[in-house]
Amino acid sequence: MRGAVHQGGAEVDPEWLRRWREYFLAYYDDARVKDKVAEVAEFARQYVDEGLVSVSGGKDSMTMLHIIVNRVRGDVHVFHWDHGPYLMPREVEREIVENMLRVAPGAHIHIRVYRRGFSERARVDWRPWYVEFFKALEELTKQLRVRYHLLGVRAEESSRRGARGRVVERRSWVEVHPIYYFTWRDVWAYVFKHDVPVPRVYYTYAKLLGWDRVRLVTFFDREFEKYGSPQVDSVLSWRWRNKPI
Amino acid sequence: MENLEIVFHLSTPVSLGFPWIFFDSLLAHVMLREELGEKYYSLPTKIPIKEIPRPPLKHYYDVPVASVSIIEPNPGLQVFSYFKRGDFPFPKGKISRGSGFFKDFYLKAIYVPAQRVRFYATGELSEIKRLVSKVPALGKDRNIGFGFVKLVEVKEIPFEFGLVKDGLAMRPIPVRYLKRYEDSAYLAYKPPYWARESVDLCAVPFTRVELR
Repeated sequence: MRGAVHQGGAEVDPEWLRRWREYFLAYYDDARVKDKVAEVAEFARQYVDEGLVSVSGGKDSMTMLHIIVNRVRGDVHVFHWDHGPYLMPREVEREIVENMLRVAPGAHIHIRVYRRGFSERARVDWRPWYVEFFKALEELTKQLRVRYHLLGVRAEESSRRGARGRVVERRSWVEVHPIYYFTWRDVWAYVFKHDVPVPRVYYTYAKLLGWDRVRLVTFFDREFEKYGSPQVDSVLSWRWRNKPI
Repeated sequence: MENLEIVFHLSTPVSLGFPWIFFDSLLAHVMLREELGEKYYSLPTKIPIKEIPRPPLKHYYDVPVASVSIIEPNPGLQVFSYFKRGDFPFPKGKISRGSGFFKDFYLKAIYVPAQRVRFYATGELSEIKRLVSKVPALGKDRNIGFGFVKLVEVKEIPFEFGLVKDGLAMRPIPVRYLKRYEDSAYLAYKPPYWARESVDLCAVPFTRVELR
């Protein structure tokens, strides 16, 4: 009677995780991920001094941060956007911040908070998000006088991203994607090989959706309704659905 | 009022929009559909329904004595991804399929390949029998074939298991009605389950509780 469904979502089975860990560790050597990492570090080195590393806390940006901090320089400027409690449960947000501090203890971490994320309305109306996010990012870019924004975007993620390119000129900055040619396997192999901390919620979702499809996005967000995300959140993250601040 | 066990035998897997299906909300849904007839399918989306019919169930304070779904067997959750594209005649010229009326969806249905869904409740046997016979399918995504009901069995049982069974909460019960509880979360505990007013700090179903 106390199966996975009744407990409000799939629980992570340690044996399942151990088996996948073994697979990704073997993949790390087989696919020569080490060489890809070296290339990423060399590529990122050109931009880091005048750059701002954007970290959402997901696997891709944490992998990118880990590579930069360990192979290029540790005192980088890091930008993190806190979506607020209605879009990003506080447990997950706390974990993200702790993970960033663990991976990059010497970095200058700049956290900006989405004020509307403290209202339930943030789940249904996402338009103000874009305005506030880009305004905050533009202000920080000016304040730090940086030119490059390093993002954990990968070509494999979507055809749109695949067409974007590794370096993209924007109006106020240049977008740089160091791990652009990483596959989902490369990312997970790096995460397991170097014990890169990622939010635990990843494993719950990966078990159901698959390691290739799991992504850290805002929870219960109507913006992602077209991908069925709120429905998955309601089943797997039901505890956070009605939780007040 | 009789103590009842209701078993839905399924012919297709049941899709979920929440970890549990609430029996009282299922009855309220059937009653509302009966009351409104065809109008049920064209309800205003912006104005919530003012009054939800009260199901023929016993209440403990304001909590209906009806359990959440017990899915059997329970092999765990599965995901079914599918495209929802408009099947209407498209107009001539350029249309946006990323947003608006012709928007495409790439959806996911979370389902359990179960054979039975069991509920416990205390209520009027004949009326509940009549209402459950009008349930053709359970859960979400019934329009694409999930949760089809093959047979419903309603039988009397000697004990009241709608709230607590073997020391385990069988539904969300507000912690203010409990002497002891093992785990709690903010959950809706009475219909309408979508309303914020129905949410309270409740004991989580299938965790240990003791009623006041």
